[in-house]
Amino acid sequence: MDVNIIENEGKMSARFIGRLDTAAALEVSKAIQPLLDNAGKPLEIDCSEMSYISSSGLRIFLTIRKAAAAAGGKVIIKGMNPDIRQIFMMTGFLNLFEVE
Amino acid sequence: MNNKKQEQSDAKRAAAWQGLALVLVAALTLEATSLIQYYFSRKGIEEETLALAQSELESTGLRITGVMDQVETVLQNNVWTVRECLTRPDSLKATAIRVVEDNPVIIGSTVAMVPGYLRRYPLYAPYAVREADTLRVTSLATADYDYPSQPWFTKPIESDEGYWSEPYWDEGGGNVLMTTFSLPIRDKKGRLAAVLTADVSLDWMSEIIGDIDVYPHAYGVMLSREGQIMASPAETLVMQTSMREIATRFDDSVSVSDLARSMQDGQTGSTSIHNKKKVSHVFYAPVKRAGWSMCIVVPHEEIYGNIERIGKIVLLLQVLGILMIILIITATVLSQMHMREIADRKNRIENELQVARGIQMAMIPKIFPPYPERGDIDMFASLTPAKEVGGDLYDFYIRDDKLFFCIGDVSGKGVPASLVMAVTRSLFRTVSGHENSPQRIVSTMNSSMSESNETSMFVTLFVGVLDLLNGHLRYCNAGHNAPLLLSGDTAVPLEVASNIALGILPDQSFCEQETDLKYGEGLFLYTDGLTEAENESHQLFGESRMMREAARNTGLPVREQVERMQARISEHVGSAPQSDDLTMLVIKYMNTKEPDAAERHLILHNDIQQIPQLASFIEQIADESGIDQSLAMSLNLALEEAVTNVICYAYPEGSDGLVDIEAIIRHDRLDFIVSDSGTPFDPTEVAQADVSLDVNERPIGGLGVFLIRNIMNEVRYERKDGKNILYMTKKL
Repeated sequence: MDVNIIENEGKMSARFIGRLDTAAALEVSKAIQPLLDNAGKPLEIDCSEMSYISSSGLRIFLTIRKAAAAAGGKVIIKGMNPDIRQIFMMTGFLNLFEVE
Repeated sequence: MNNKKQEQSDAKRAAAWQGLALVLVAALTLEATSLIQYYFSRKGIEEETLALAQSELESTGLRITGVMDQVETVLQNNVWTVRECLTRPDSLKATAIRVVEDNPVIIGSTVAMVPGYLRRYPLYAPYAVREADTLRVTSLATADYDYPSQPWFTKPIESDEGYWSEPYWDEGGGNVLMTTFSLPIRDKKGRLAAVLTADVSLDWMSEIIGDIDVYPHAYGVMLSREGQIMASPAETLVMQTSMREIATRFDDSVSVSDLARSMQDGQTGSTSIHNKKKVSHVFYAPVKRAGWSMCIVVPHEEIYGNIERIGKIVLLLQVLGILMIILIITATVLSQMHMREIADRKNRIENELQVARGIQMAMIPKIFPPYPERGDIDMFASLTPAKEVGGDLYDFYIRDDKLFFCIGDVSGKGVPASLVMAVTRSLFRTVSGHENSPQRIVSTMNSSMSESNETSMFVTLFVGVLDLLNGHLRYCNAGHNAPLLLSGDTAVPLEVASNIALGILPDQSFCEQETDLKYGEGLFLYTDGLTEAENESHQLFGESRMMREAARNTGLPVREQVERMQARISEHVGSAPQSDDLTMLVIKYMNTKEPDAAERHLILHNDIQQIPQLASFIEQIADESGIDQSLAMSLNLALEEAVTNVICYAYPEGSDGLVDIEAIIRHDRLDFIVSDSGTPFDPTEVAQADVSLDVNERPIGGLGVFLIRNIMNEVRYERKDGKNILYMTKKL
């Protein structure tokens, strides 16, 4: 599981690549620290290369969203495959994010 | 029905008439016998009395004529003496004296000369009379007496023979009843010269008459020629009254006058007279020489009293006897009628019981096999109602691939029990129609039945819900006998909480239990009519016998299992009557897809880093079962959540443990079983995430179980043998 984070013109971009399972979640939760630190800035997460997500992964997304909400930022999720989109829908997460 | 009643009442009437006829014949026979007996006895007594009276009359008459003979003889003997000394007056006087002196029976005697016979004495009649112990001699030839005109002087001369006078009171001679015998005497030339007399006291006659003792109260009466009473127990009547006068004092005066006439006429005979409601029989005969007549009066009571008393007693006994016969016959007829009524009532009750049996049998499924189109379940049941009808029931049906079944026993017997049974069965159908949990089915039924339970009847009930897709059995017992779990060649009681029967406490809580039936396993459900089937010596069939028999039959088709058990019970019971309903229900679970099921195993350590292994495990299963990528991902997710839970919660941090993941692949579904030996942890109990909350309210956790439930069709947790077991099913 890889997480690439880029800061550009005051906007944050993140790319989640691979499987975001429980085993990966621990690592990812550390990797997203820059995002939490810049929670006030608009954030775009690219999920087009994320093939799997478990509840631990969802928890990371929720952490990011809560931080953004607290700092007045916003989070846009792009490129979710239908299966992951289904999980987001099932768990009510679609309502928490802006999804493109 | 009406004809039957008519026949019955005809039969009753016939029986009553027969009885009556019997009584009549018996009564007539008895009556005739005793009448004949009475008639002959009475006739005998009558004849005897007549003979007795006649002999008494005869002997009394003989005694009287004896005395008269004596007197007559004395006078006859003196005729010669008188004739010899007709011219010597002194000698005539001496003769009179001698007659009195020599004969104690003679009180007085005279030789009365025919007037003018003696030239010296125109009238001459010296009279010797006994007074006390001395003899006095007087003359009857006085101016005021005028003996030649007295009857004792004239009558013998008229008739020229001896003459007995009418009795009379001799006032001069000491108030004695007297009679005089007079004998005319002619001289040697044949001229009438004198009349020789002897006065006789009639005292002896009273004695003779008083001696009559043929019956205690019998008495005699002597009548003179003129009908005067000469002797009688009533002494005041003697020589004072004639029989004809007395007759007027009688109620039955005609009979008495007739009697008096007959007696005066010198007849012999007998008659009856009535006076003051009493009847007397009179026997009479003449005393020939004197022209008197004598009768003996005997009270009717004395002759016929005994026989009439006996007759009355016999009659009374007969009447009593007949009354008793009537009583006995009446009682017999009544008791027969009563017996018939009891029989009628019994028939009616039996009819009602048949109705009850009808109600019972109409409520239960009776077509076997019930689901011939399904290969995964086979059942057979039998309900044998007792003569008195208990309240056994069983029921089953399939909804959503689940078999809902129950078996129960209503307390009590008869129509009420079968009605409660019908209510129970309806409730089961209604409640289970929208409820999958046996515990809730039982609870709802219990509340409903407890509320309206006015008859205090209760029901023991076992409710089971068998998931036909995976053999998972959930059940709830309410006081019923534990069913037997049939597995391999064993039959052991299913582990059940006994709980309390339905209809007792409205708020009673019932616990639900569960188990899994594997291919070929089944249940044997029964009511206590089986274990408590009694033989003639009151030995119960018992549980051990039942378990042995059930174990022996596990391999057989369900119908045969029930039939063999039934045969074994019949063998035990013999000819003893069945006292309670007997119900058996056998369920055999056979998942037909079982043979092509494939099992896959994965064992992980309690390490998060091993979780990625699940992905390849799922991939393999996806290959075998042909599921698509996205379903595989969902299953991966659910499984990961389950395993994560185990790793995070079941094992304390740092301890080493294993997670066992088993997958069963069938063509129509996938079963996953995740088990571990960690501390008890039921993930299904964890509060589920509320997915409708917004960002700020949304908690971080709680999503795992939510995801499992959403992905899988069924999720179930079990703690068994120290293991946490989570069952998950995904239908394909």
